[in-house]
Amino acid sequence: MKVSPQESRQPVSSPAPLLKVRNLCLELEGRSILDQVRLDLPCRGVTALIGPSGAGKSSLLRCLNLLCDHWQGEIVIGERSVRKWPGGADALRRHLGLIGQKPVVFPGSIRRNLLFGLGRRERKVVPLSRIEKGLSSAGLWEEVRDRLDSSAGGLSLGQQQRLCIARALMLQPGLLLVDEPTSSLDPQGCHIIEETLLALARHLPVLWVTHDLAQAQRVADQVIFICQGSLVEQAPAMEFFTRPKRLETREFLRWNVCECDG
Amino acid sequence: MLKFVVVILALPAVMLPVATFGYVLVRGWAGMTEAYGLMDQVTGSLLLAGLACALSSPVSLGMAVWLCIHGKRAGSSWLLQLQLLHGIPPLVYGLCGMVLLVQWLHWGVSLMAGAIVLAVVVLPQMTLNYLAALQRIPREWTEAARSLGLGTAQVVLRVWLPGAWRGLVTGLLLSLARTLAETAPILFTAAVFSGVGWPGSLLSPVTTLQTHIFYLAQEGIDDRAIDTAWSAASVLVLLVLGGSLIAQWLRARSLR
Ligand SMILES: Nc1ncnc2c1ncn2[C@@H]1O[C@H](COP(=O)(O)OP(=O)(O)OP(=O)(O)O)[C@@H](O)[C@H]1O
Ligand SMILES: [Mg+2]
Repeated sequence: MKVSPQESRQPVSSPAPLLKVRNLCLELEGRSILDQVRLDLPCRGVTALIGPSGAGKSSLLRCLNLLCDHWQGEIVIGERSVRKWPGGADALRRHLGLIGQKPVVFPGSIRRNLLFGLGRRERKVVPLSRIEKGLSSAGLWEEVRDRLDSSAGGLSLGQQQRLCIARALMLQPGLLLVDEPTSSLDPQGCHIIEETLLALARHLPVLWVTHDLAQAQRVADQVIFICQGSLVEQAPAMEFFTRPKRLETREFLRWNVCECDG
Repeated sequence: MLKFVVVILALPAVMLPVATFGYVLVRGWAGMTEAYGLMDQVTGSLLLAGLACALSSPVSLGMAVWLCIHGKRAGSSWLLQLQLLHGIPPLVYGLCGMVLLVQWLHWGVSLMAGAIVLAVVVLPQMTLNYLAALQRIPREWTEAARSLGLGTAQVVLRVWLPGAWRGLVTGLLLSLARTLAETAPILFTAAVFSGVGWPGSLLSPVTTLQTHIFYLAQEGIDDRAIDTAWSAASVLVLLVLGGSLIAQWLRARSLR
């Protein structure tokens, strides 16, 4: 049997990846945004997706949950191709919680926002215990327990971001896609979000886009580096930061470290 | 200096409508005591405008939503079509309505015929108004709702319509003001000079403020008729102005 070099490099004991992306190509307005991307996500833990601005990180996430659906290639979650997901794209998106760069709260109460993804009948009968569980897992319950019915717009930015996480968690996703969740927060808010997501990553795979190398070092079990739409290196975090294999990675790491120092 | 020039240039543009409105109002109120009654005309105008907007609203809203969903691909050519339609003189619609509805369908000069013609006249503008309101919904809202697994219908019902309702009402009021001001389309299809109060059915004719002014000014036999025309004009101006002002107020609030 022929084994491709990348597969032979993996330790034998590692479980089958939950998310597999093969040959993902995306073209928008005649420009190639993603080119032959190949990546694997394990069943739990944080995978940091890093790369310079405009590398296509957000686009990759949008391809994964079919918000952007004119890509070529193969995306498989579990054993299923996302294109043939039972229940269609909407069901797929419920399975993949996407948390964006800026928190998006809809007009209305905290409760309305939290239950936004649920069906109409479900919304009517949600018990308080479930609301508590959802908000607690995003670390927000204590702060908002007495004002569930006040406007969600009145929350601080960090609280809004955690509300968005809780909102995604209410749908019991099998995977979290997070796109620079802390970019608009202060260090304190940033820390809380990191803790929240790390706690979640014990049970869920989290694909975490970040600009911030220090953050990637703090949170990641595995790092994926993409540059100009193609995947440069995928490696366990320790290995990635101490012994990067590719020249581009070394350049990127050095350049960013310099930037931090200056 | 530049400011000064701009003000001088803009002055006529501002003064002219204000002066016209003012004159119409003053002249209208002055003659009001002498004038013949106008209640029937007010009723007729409001009924026609209301019915027309009620007819075209669902269609316009549907078209606006459709354009918003398929915005990128099909949107621009449709937008052009709408603007073209918007440019057709309303009188043309009036003539078509007369031939098709009044004569061919034997509806006679009637509320229904007028309302349908008015609905067609106001359709393009109303659609553009609604579209503008929907397009002010932030794209992030739509994407966030989609990534929570909401289908298109759900996004429209739970994000777009609640988020844009102020803008939508604004659009409706502006269209209402437009239908109130429209004379040509109803001249041959809905309006008679006088003699009807509350129309008994959808197929009865009505009298309206717009056409009343037209008839009175054209055939003004005595001073009293002319006074009545001015009064009708002032009432009409007030109605249109009122609708527009509420619309502006709502729009200002929806932009916040
Ligand atoms: N809808 C679109 N149409 C055309 N080009 C697009 C579209 N969306 C993104 N792009 C392009 O795709 C490239 C990748 O964008 P993307 O947002 O994925 O970058 P990113 O890695 O997330 O960057 P950042 O770190 O700044 O968020 C950019 O060059 C961008 O201009
Ligand atoms: Mg991005």
